[in-house]
Amino acid sequence: MEDMELQKIWAEYDRKLEESKVLNLQSWALNFRSFEGIQMQKAKSKLNRLAAFKTRVIVLGILWVLFLCTLIFFKFTWQGIIFNISAGAIALITAIAIVVYIKDVALIRQIDNSENILDTQEKLASLQASTIRIMGILWLQLPFYAIFFLTPAMLHDWNAWQWLIIILTTGLFTFAALWLYKNINYKNRDKKWFRILFNSPEWTSVIKAMNFLDEIEEFKKGN
Amino acid sequence: MSTQPGSEAFLQLVQQNRGIIFKICNSYCANKNDREDLAQEVIYQLWKSGNSFNGSYKFTTWMYRIALNVAISFYRKENKKGPVISLNENNMDVEDKEGFVYETEENLNLLQQFINELKELDRALMILYLEAKSYAEIAEITGLTETNVSTKINRIKDKLKQKFLTVNK
Repeated sequence: MEDMELQKIWAEYDRKLEESKVLNLQSWALNFRSFEGIQMQKAKSKLNRLAAFKTRVIVLGILWVLFLCTLIFFKFTWQGIIFNISAGAIALITAIAIVVYIKDVALIRQIDNSENILDTQEKLASLQASTIRIMGILWLQLPFYAIFFLTPAMLHDWNAWQWLIIILTTGLFTFAALWLYKNINYKNRDKKWFRILFNSPEWTSVIKAMNFLDEIEEFKKGN
Repeated sequence: MSTQPGSEAFLQLVQQNRGIIFKICNSYCANKNDREDLAQEVIYQLWKSGNSFNGSYKFTTWMYRIALNVAISFYRKENKKGPVISLNENNMDVEDKEGFVYETEENLNLLQQFINELKELDRALMILYLEAKSYAEIAEITGLTETNVSTKINRIKDKLKQKFLTVNK
């Protein structure tokens, strides 16, 4: 089969379309006048809804950070120093996650279907995949939830066993948090632990987005 | 020429090139209802993005970008890999006319089937090639380099030819 032959076969498609009623505007609802109505209906497209959702999360996140900061600054006592450090760390980590969310919202605003296919599809897939990145960041809060309730007075009275338990628990949580932060990324999506952790249906589209990002990378390479 | 979404000139340009929408929708959707949804979505996005067309490239380049971006996103969202589309049972009310050579029609059905089996990005590339777009224009639409376009198209063409040979054995 010659190169031109594929194009010749495809050209028959045009001929067939020309001969048929397929290009009838009515059957295709190509009457743009009617799109005034559709515009209203579609104004809340999926991307707009996603941007609205992320904006709500940002607002909630900011309120949470403000609440934690209020506790730290207005209820500060030396007895509550560990609580203050934990609350500060949790506020900082939440703030980092908020920054990622803000970047996502900015990315949504940048998405333009009239840009080239690779750029647009990469932005869309990155947007979905960023949920995983945020999960990794949020895990970093874990160790602080293991120690926030401690006070210097409590520690002063503790015996060796109690010290051992808190050191082991905090150490384990810290290790788990750092390990998850480092390893929750799409390169590990085929690993068993990753699939167990992100097994629920709401993660399916995120995992697919990650696979698609890989495909885009491969596609760019020209291998 | 005014290309404001509501203007007559804009509507005329889209209408002149509506075959693009038809072929892209057929290549990314196996199900008739999905195809109609996709067609509407493409038309809506063209209407919505009308202001972004600035004449720095061809109108068809702009239209292909939007239609393919919307189709790929739609396909990824739905990901309904249905049966192969045949022009006979087809979709958007294609009517058979006398004189349409049976063999060509069969080849066209096969070609559609093979295209539908490609990955979504390869599919976009192949549609553009079959639409006789230049490598430069394909590069502009896809965001690949011209060399990359050429390498990939040659590889996909070889694959398709191989499939035709296997079927015709």
